[in-house]
Amino acid sequence: MPTLIERRDPLTQAQGVERGYAQTARRWPAQPLARRPHTAAELSGPPPVARLLPVQEGDLAGHGARRAIGQLIRLRVRVVDEDGAPLPGTVLEAWHCNAAGKYIHPNDSHDAPVDPNFYGAARMLAGDDGVAELRTIKPGAYPVPDTHGWWRPPHIHFSVWGRVWLSRLVTQMFFPGEPLNEADAILNAIRDPGARGRCIASLAPSATSEMLFDYQVVVRGRAGTPGLP
Amino acid sequence: MSRLVPTAEMTLGPFFPREFAQGLNDLAPGAGDAIEITGRVTELDRRALDNVILEIWQADRAGRFDNPQFPGWGRAATDAQGNYRFRTIRPGAVAGRAPHVNFLILYSGLMRQLQTVMFFEASNDPVLMAVEDSRRSRLVALREEKNAFRFDIRLRGEDETPFFDD
Repeated sequence: MPTLIERRDPLTQAQGVERGYAQTARRWPAQPLARRPHTAAELSGPPPVARLLPVQEGDLAGHGARRAIGQLIRLRVRVVDEDGAPLPGTVLEAWHCNAAGKYIHPNDSHDAPVDPNFYGAARMLAGDDGVAELRTIKPGAYPVPDTHGWWRPPHIHFSVWGRVWLSRLVTQMFFPGEPLNEADAILNAIRDPGARGRCIASLAPSATSEMLFDYQVVVRGRAGTPGLP
Repeated sequence: MSRLVPTAEMTLGPFFPREFAQGLNDLAPGAGDAIEITGRVTELDRRALDNVILEIWQADRAGRFDNPQFPGWGRAATDAQGNYRFRTIRPGAVAGRAPHVNFLILYSGLMRQLQTVMFFEASNDPVLMAVEDSRRSRLVALREEKNAFRFDIRLRGEDETPFFDD
């Protein structure tokens, strides 16, 4: 079944130059983006990605003496297409900072401590139901340099593959009830409140030692129906 | 059937894990006639950008996208001087298309992914023709040696690279 990709809706997708995020004015193209016909190249997938990328166990929190500092959480991430069909076997990459708001990255200059038991990067495979689980700690908030007071709310970065090249999705997941969500220049670049709300995970009942959050990712594309002549 | 709205894309941010981009820029291990694609990624005022993530998707030498022996996908990160490098094979022509390599660019300051396409020569390819005439040459790689191609990407400013909405 061919995959169809529809145009992005400017209300539910951000692009361009955002006031409050200065780098966008140096990096987003000044010329309008060209529309191209969709051919086999755009509508075929890189299916072997799962074979190329080593998948790890979805656990960044550790145990016992190797436990990372912070609130234990478990994320249940479900990947579906626009028809709501799950995508079993798809690859998800996740990365986030530690509980003090520090990334394990040479470019992070934030004056916050490194946690020797926390390494904030994981690559997971969705199961038959399109669900991948990640056990980790809740990331902290951190200030963005040279912005006069922009603090990023706690968030987790996700990179996901869909069925075809144009389904590729890179996004960020937020936590419910965080006051910093209200002013974040990245989350609020999504103009539609409903679409913005779907970027925020929901708290689910949990009987274990971890807080449980559910989050659904919808990748672009729906099953094609035969066109009329 | 009701349609779900695709999740909003957001910027990659500056802290994409380095190891996620390591060891994935050689698509042609063992292939005899490999080509090299290199380039520099710059922003406004031609400043070079560090840790830009580039992903490519291309056909095999016969123009097929479903060759189990050739993945067709790769990822590279720019270094502190803005330079990236892929080693791959020259793709064949896909039905109705000229040989080309699809590029996806992810970076902080980009609210979502940018897409562009590298061609090996000027042609009437329908995707190349979707770009205005005066800018098409920006999508044709510079041949530096027999098997070495240069494809610089300027995100914004004079001579900026043409990008596609989809």
